Amino acid sequence: MEFYTVALLLGLAFVPLALGIFLSAKVFNIPDITTDGSFTLGAACFAVFILIPMHPILTTLLVLPVGALAGAATGLIHTKLKVNALLSGILVMTALYSVNLLIMERSNIPLIGAANIFDQVNNPAFLLKNMFIVVLIVLMVTGLIIWLLKTDFGLTMRAAGSNENMIEAQGVNPDKIKVIGLAISNSLVALSGCLVTQLQGFADINMGIGIVIAGLASVMMGEAISNRFKKSSIVMPVLMVVFAAILFRLFIAFILAQGIEQVYVKLFTAALVLVFLSVSKLNFIKK
Amino acid sequence: MKYNIPQILILIYVVALTLSCKPQKTDHKDSGKPVIAFLDAFVDETIAQAKTGFYKALADQGYQESDSSITILYRNAQGDIPTLTQACDYFISEKVDLIATNATLSTITAVQKTNTIPVCMMVSPSPKNANLLDAQGNAPKNLFGVYETLAYIDTSVTLINYFFSNAKHLGVIYNQAEPQSVSALEHIQAACKPLNLKVSVVSVSNSSETQLAIQSLISRGIDCFFAMPDNSIFASFEVIAAACKVKKIPVFTSEAGLVKRGALCAYGADMYAWGYQAGEQAVQYLKSDRKTIPAPMLVNKRIRVFNKKVAEYFKIEASLAKFIML
Repeated sequence: MEFYTVALLLGLAFVPLALGIFLSAKVFNIPDITTDGSFTLGAACFAVFILIPMHPILTTLLVLPVGALAGAATGLIHTKLKVNALLSGILVMTALYSVNLLIMERSNIPLIGAANIFDQVNNPAFLLKNMFIVVLIVLMVTGLIIWLLKTDFGLTMRAAGSNENMIEAQGVNPDKIKVIGLAISNSLVALSGCLVTQLQGFADINMGIGIVIAGLASVMMGEAISNRFKKSSIVMPVLMVVFAAILFRLFIAFILAQGIEQVYVKLFTAALVLVFLSVSKLNFIKK
Repeated sequence: MKYNIPQILILIYVVALTLSCKPQKTDHKDSGKPVIAFLDAFVDETIAQAKTGFYKALADQGYQESDSSITILYRNAQGDIPTLTQACDYFISEKVDLIATNATLSTITAVQKTNTIPVCMMVSPSPKNANLLDAQGNAPKNLFGVYETLAYIDTSVTLINYFFSNAKHLGVIYNQAEPQSVSALEHIQAACKPLNLKVSVVSVSNSSETQLAIQSLISRGIDCFFAMPDNSIFASFEVIAAACKVKKIPVFTSEAGLVKRGALCAYGADMYAWGYQAGEQAVQYLKSDRKTIPAPMLVNKRIRVFNKKVAEYFKIEASLAKFIML
């Protein structure tokens, strides 16, 4: 049971990542690969700041503008230098590898014994205090994103992704919207990196590699589920992305728990996700 | 036609800046001093100790970059295989006198790319274990340096049996992508069979999967854990140590650096001494007539280390006088 609790915790820590990728990929229609770099950037900044030492809550909040800077860089390269969105993401991600190495000054920073936000709950009888804090953060972030997407600015963002010419005709600068959107998206990813670092107790230069795949998988799975509900509100897609992010980690944990031969683990994970997607597309009610 | 002056000026500025960053190209060939290359596969503190040892061995014999007696070209692939291959190509095009390779992947890459430039290996398995033998069973002629066989694993498993004789279930995490880990795993399974130790294995592909992997092993009921000399394990060792400590599972390993970070005991090669021994080999070659390449040799310094605090935690007595206490 504890095994699945850890998997659930990790899944919750990856929810901001999934939300960030949802913002860039689904709302803005910009495939953003910067995620690999900004995830590690969040982790690296947290590790370096917490060892100064700095208060953990302050450090977690500080990670957000740092991630936003990375996203803004991608946005500026894409809008001002007219580089293809995918390529600008790749360029920033590659550059961030060096930046992260410079920040960390080594490839791996162990954090056992360092403060983290889970220590802020003073009740020692709280067995699942990690769970409580992570759930709190996830609820806050999800609520914030849903609120943001329903404001005027949020609607402008959604319109920018849907039809850029239309918002330009309405007098809005699409470049500015894209930069701000990518900044928000990457600050969420950096937050996720910071949470995962606190859960696992170290920051490693390679921890972000391939993370965009897991995020995109969660977003696509969430989209597949939410398409079944014919509502036009943005609440359902966001909630389904959150659900899918947690579910993806639980799938991986489930496969690991089966004890099948090691070579097949990744194959079975992919197969399980495929089965889940096919079942979610089935129509149980005959028309 | 209207030209966008600001953008043109920015472009000229950026190009000028980039061109001015080119380093001075010194022709090091005609000064007669040796030019060697050092090829590192990962950025990792444990493996970096071998590099420190290698450089120290060179310095002790009079070869130092600071007094221009030698030029050392250093490249680190940072875990990226295409970068490793390109760095190796660069060294070959520079016609270096020697390529020193740190860690298995560098050795394999270098040996496959050249059979004329001598390759001095360290932190690598024997040519046989690295699958570098040709059809007749001969190692590459240009390969020398210091290797390690898997014999240390037998000793480590014996240690587990000695201290925890009622241990029934051994847990191992490894990275399938690292060649020395796969052969080490087979060796562990073979060594555990006669002792009736069941071995449970989880494979990971990078360090962020370790947390779930160790929880999976713990939920399967392991009594003890063996940490492989694997880059992914080195990076994420704190997670393993913390999870095992809570469940009172001792961690055995072959790497002294991990003992400092929370493992119970280690028996294996000392990274710094390994690099130093390889450095001595390299110097011997450079000072000779450079016509004959020596044979690869086995690492000669192995250490037994114990973590005092962890030993007290597991209530193991100090009959370990022959162990180095860390």
